[in-house]
Amino acid sequence: MAHPLLDEMKAQEEAFKQTGHLFGLERLARKESDPGTYEAVWHILSNLCNAAWATGCKVSSSPIAAEGGDALWGLHTSTGEAICISRGISAHAGLLSDMIKNFIGLGYEEYPGFKQGDIFENNDPHYGGIHSPDFDMCMPLFYGGKLIAWASCVSHVSDAGSVTPGSIGFLNPDCYSDGLPISMERVGEHDRFYPWYEMRIRSRTRTPDFVMGDARGRLAGCITIRERLEEVIEKYGLDLFLDVGREYVEDSRRYAVGRVKTQTVPGRIRKSQFKDLAMKGKRVLLAKQDIDCAFNLPMELTINADASVDLSLQGASGTVPFGENISPTALKSGLMMGYSHIVGFDMFNSGPIAAWNIEMPPAGSWANPFEVDYQAASGVAWAPAVTWVSNLYEVFGRLFQMRGFVEEMAAGSGTIMTAEFSGINQTGMYLTGLTLEQASQGSPARGYSDGENSAWCIYTPEADFGNAEISELYYPILFLGRNVAPNSGGYGQFRGGLGHTAVWMVHNTPGLEYQCGDAGMRSKMVANHGMYGAYPVVPDRPAYGHKTNVKELIDSQSPLIHGRGDPESPAVASLIEADIVEDNAVAPFVTPEPLVDYDVIVHPIAGAQAMGDPILRDPASVARDLNEGWTTTRVATELHGVVADKPNGAFVVDEEATQAQRESIRKARLARAIPFKEWWQSECEKVAAQENMDPAIQTMWASSMALSPKYAEELRAFWGLPEDFTFGA
Amino acid sequence: MSRYLVACDAGGTMTDVIIVDEEGRSVIGKAPTSPQDESIGYMESFWEALEYMGIPQAEGHDFGEKIETAIYTGTSMLNTVINMNGYKTGILVTRGFEDIISQGRGSQTFIGAQWSEITHMQYRRHRTPLVPRQLARGVTERIDMFGTPVIPLYEEEVRRGAKELIGDEKVEAIAIIFLQSFVNPAHENRAAEICREVMKELGRDVVLEVSNKVAPTTREISRANATVIQAYASDPARKQLFRIEEELQKTGYGHSLKTVLGYGGITNIRYPRLFEAAMSGPVGGLMGAKYLSSVIGEENIVCSDVGGTSFDAGTITAGVLPIDREPGFQDMYVNVPMLGITSIGAGTGTYIRVDPQTNRIKLGPDSAGGTPGPTFMEAGNTTPTINDVNLLLGILSETNYLGGKVKINKDVSYALFKEKVSDPLGLDVYEAAETCLELLNVMMREHLVNSLMVGHDLREYVLLGYGGGGPLHLLGYAGDFPWKAVCTVPHAGGFSAWGGACMDYSHRRHKSVGAVLTPDLDDATKLQYLQPVTTAWDELEAELRSELKEEGFEESQVSISRVVYMKYYGQLDDLEVDSPVENFKTISDMDSLVQSFEELYAKMFTLAARPDVGAYHITEVCVVAKVATVKPKLRKFELSDPKPDQAAYKCSRPVFMRGKWQDADIWEMEKLVPGNEIKGLAVIEASNTTLFVPPEWHVKIDDHDIYWLTRKDS
Repeated sequence: MAHPLLDEMKAQEEAFKQTGHLFGLERLARKESDPGTYEAVWHILSNLCNAAWATGCKVSSSPIAAEGGDALWGLHTSTGEAICISRGISAHAGLLSDMIKNFIGLGYEEYPGFKQGDIFENNDPHYGGIHSPDFDMCMPLFYGGKLIAWASCVSHVSDAGSVTPGSIGFLNPDCYSDGLPISMERVGEHDRFYPWYEMRIRSRTRTPDFVMGDARGRLAGCITIRERLEEVIEKYGLDLFLDVGREYVEDSRRYAVGRVKTQTVPGRIRKSQFKDLAMKGKRVLLAKQDIDCAFNLPMELTINADASVDLSLQGASGTVPFGENISPTALKSGLMMGYSHIVGFDMFNSGPIAAWNIEMPPAGSWANPFEVDYQAASGVAWAPAVTWVSNLYEVFGRLFQMRGFVEEMAAGSGTIMTAEFSGINQTGMYLTGLTLEQASQGSPARGYSDGENSAWCIYTPEADFGNAEISELYYPILFLGRNVAPNSGGYGQFRGGLGHTAVWMVHNTPGLEYQCGDAGMRSKMVANHGMYGAYPVVPDRPAYGHKTNVKELIDSQSPLIHGRGDPESPAVASLIEADIVEDNAVAPFVTPEPLVDYDVIVHPIAGAQAMGDPILRDPASVARDLNEGWTTTRVATELHGVVADKPNGAFVVDEEATQAQRESIRKARLARAIPFKEWWQSECEKVAAQENMDPAIQTMWASSMALSPKYAEELRAFWGLPEDFTFGA
Repeated sequence: MSRYLVACDAGGTMTDVIIVDEEGRSVIGKAPTSPQDESIGYMESFWEALEYMGIPQAEGHDFGEKIETAIYTGTSMLNTVINMNGYKTGILVTRGFEDIISQGRGSQTFIGAQWSEITHMQYRRHRTPLVPRQLARGVTERIDMFGTPVIPLYEEEVRRGAKELIGDEKVEAIAIIFLQSFVNPAHENRAAEICREVMKELGRDVVLEVSNKVAPTTREISRANATVIQAYASDPARKQLFRIEEELQKTGYGHSLKTVLGYGGITNIRYPRLFEAAMSGPVGGLMGAKYLSSVIGEENIVCSDVGGTSFDAGTITAGVLPIDREPGFQDMYVNVPMLGITSIGAGTGTYIRVDPQTNRIKLGPDSAGGTPGPTFMEAGNTTPTINDVNLLLGILSETNYLGGKVKINKDVSYALFKEKVSDPLGLDVYEAAETCLELLNVMMREHLVNSLMVGHDLREYVLLGYGGGGPLHLLGYAGDFPWKAVCTVPHAGGFSAWGGACMDYSHRRHKSVGAVLTPDLDDATKLQYLQPVTTAWDELEAELRSELKEEGFEESQVSISRVVYMKYYGQLDDLEVDSPVENFKTISDMDSLVQSFEELYAKMFTLAARPDVGAYHITEVCVVAKVATVKPKLRKFELSDPKPDQAAYKCSRPVFMRGKWQDADIWEMEKLVPGNEIKGLAVIEASNTTLFVPPEWHVKIDDHDIYWLTRKDS
């Protein structure tokens, strides 16, 4: 049986290997000979994907897809390379491409075969999906009886039937608890879903009407792409479409290489980063989950003399018995999205992926689990992985700085702590799903200015928290606050954009589960550490009160809770009485029992990372932050060395006192400073003795070293450890 | 004595004033817009228009006596917001939301941005808030989505906040925004009462706006923006309008000045919710097109306006213009009804660049606008623009730019275009110029098709082009798409100003509701659930009738239409449906509405998209009240011979098309008359626009002086 697509795919891989150019395109002939048509067709194809977005989102019913931007449509070559994508969650561009390649690679062109109107889907991480709520769809597109392209889509549904309600299953202990799998399936023909597809969604998800609404949205968008593409081919010809489709991908690869060549410097750069997941003593599903975990996320980037990029993720630690493990396919796709945030491609497709040589994390790590731990769960697969995206920001920020592109520098992103509700809502309907709060963090500090407040989201550029009144339509909550969170953007010459604090009062429900979820938060570790001498902020700390006296407070018109209060002295315990009061809860967690009316939740959303020494911050900026209520006088004085008085209701900088305070900070620093070598030697001793090292950290290091021997070798050499040294021994 | 309509379109660069007589004859004056005192630009343009009528300024001092209506469309409100010179405004807001204005929301940082800019995090910027955080005061209160007060209004906090803002901060305006106030306005209204008490106590009067009166619709951030803009900018902008009215009155004009509302109606400049006029700029063209459509009997029109900096588009379907209820305005989303107009940065001044890294052509989105203008103006711009290309290709004349008033230098265009565009591309100058022009046309065409035509069949639509650059590019972006017809008008450059004179006196009110109709409900329950819709309609209608009565109109002059916004339950986006019924007395009334909705839905989206649950959700209602006004007549002429008068023929000029120089006939538009026909390749020149007719097109001027453009082979 012939497999023309598979043969073509293999030939293309070989051509790339031989020439270094995708599809072996050493020349972009169409672009060179007719640059106008080249641009015009690009413009039309991009618009075609955005038309699919417009149609699909209007038909979708999930607020996450349409209001939160967590959806994407794409157009691909016959062998799966993404030619162009719509607006939306661009993290999936590579993943959708790999899904199509996977269908071809698995021999589906022979059986069950591809024909016009077929609908294929996958959400199974074992086959390249990211996590079960992200339903990936593709449809083969035919012209003149020949398969000439694919339309694709992903949308994030409100519930995928995992063991706990909702779409961010961080508590899932294994893949069997991840929810409904669609494992590389044909789910419909002739532009219609099979009846059993819908029946399965109805019987195995908690909000089937929403899930099916999203499915119809995906389908409507893909059909839009098909219909519009036929018009393009009628006008410009099939040959031109096939040629330029490939050239756009290769052109984008060249652009990615070109940006590296013109804006960075050759060399090797490393970034070390960690994430924790403190679950010991909390409500978990299985006994094996009563542990704290830590993730190692090392990154080594090498810019070669020819501007090719080698990225190594060796050293990643082992799998965890939670939903935080990710497939390498999804990881690679997400990393490319991060790169697009740095570069701002206007031709973003599969090309940039080919510009990098990625040494994937070792098999058996949380970021490449299935060869070793087939049962690993991926309910919220991107939770640790987004840290690598943040690392990319920082690594490239340093490279840009070295080459003088200060305006392109960015410190790392904020962390992501989700809020997900489930229960009967105020209209008597069962509902589960994410709020949109986490989709609006502060943006990273720039090389020349502060980041923007509540204006960026690491997993989607469509960063936005929407309107509170819309959230109140879905969930049985009343917003008591949604203000900027002071001191949430780190401390530096330029601070990160600030996050915000959502405060909710449970209202009109017999019981509401609140899942303070992990989508990239920190339990106890510091994540927001900043660049070039900036200081970090404390980890994500929500608060809540259960069975409260809030009704009595309302009746007596006493003060209520509208924010976290002074970041160093949270407000809940001081303002309300309750059976359970958690003022500094260690995220993530699920409340021990359903919340009831008048319970209160304080849910902070992170700001981003800062850049530069805090005492270099312009005193006027500190005074502005004081006046806006975005920082405190203690921070101003002790961290920024800015003394400000409030003579007439507004803070004014005392220049002389500020100069003196900064001088005193400098002197204090010098007084406690020791030579680096001395410090390093003392640290080596601590590491060798595993001094004060938590078992979760020991386990993390031990697994990293076991899975990546070369990484282990360098680690031992750096810390002066014996050749047979292992952590936790 | 003849009576006249005077309308204006004050753009960012130029102010056009059009004077139309009872017979529909019109003249257009142009002058630079004067943001500091808009009456200056307005009157300069007015005097110039009078000159075209043969009346020198010295003799026109009492011309105002002959003006029946004077209408302003333009940027007075916009300028107040851009220049940040509105009232010092404070807000009283639900406690915990004090940052609602200064924090904004993420999506406001990329309104109108290209995707490459949206993905590039370094481009994020919040606008400077109209209300600084220090002028926000929180008030403890909460009402839930059903309108039930859950936390009472802490009145003492209102009083304290009002005292601080009015007494200590000396604000000039206060906006009150509480969550869910559109469902139950009690807390907001009580807070306003307290503010009035405080004003009295302190002896200071300030502007007071409450969100449930300004924009009683859901989405608190956009409602807050609407309320703040109303408080911040309405009075200062109104002062500009009073200045224009004052100047007109000096000429003997005896009525009030009217202004255009964003949803396409005119109103007295004393209209309370003047913020609804903030986005009236592109409205004139659409309303002109709507009026034109009613006269010529075409119900479906795609309107396209090519200016110097942007390409605006809107669609009239079955005589109805869609409404955007939350448009972006100056990096804010605003709850204000506005005609559905979408724009891209593509116009005659759009910059042409070649990316040095990718060697790809980049058009805009920025532009040289009127100042410094194309490189041929020699006013400081050295980046080639689309109009440089039009000049190089021979489409624009070296001697007729802006009617020959402006001297231009083609050599400059050639040298800069060669250096910066054609040489890097490795193309001949003229081939590269044609390539850039075609690319612009594709961008415009895609914008029309993608943004406006979801679910519609192009073959049912007439494409109308206007704006100074409309006729120049119209047939380029019309392309080979199967439009029902393509047309333009001789006064395309002043069409938006003319459109300002074509509107009815109109007010519109929206209110959010929530009626969910599921199939398991019995008929009586469905009718009961629909009761809030009828109640809201009745309330809004009474309010509008009362407003119009106060403005001097008789009950009998007012016509009313009722609208709902409806979706399948669970979906996020709703559709605007003109209700076929006035209320819901029987279940067949509801069925009629559902039928109208389903027909529209099937037309907008593919059948595959339609859910089969059968549950419907009405989210918002609207009432439109109109009073018909006297509009300029669209004159009907005797048709002359198809062959134009020889006097209209100017010369022959080589034009570069499809890779070669071809001789084009050059005609003078002012000397062409209804009935004339012209074959492409031709260029028809007027003082304020140029119509380009490619070889395969043919022009026929109908008895309304409308230019119909058809393919020779059709």
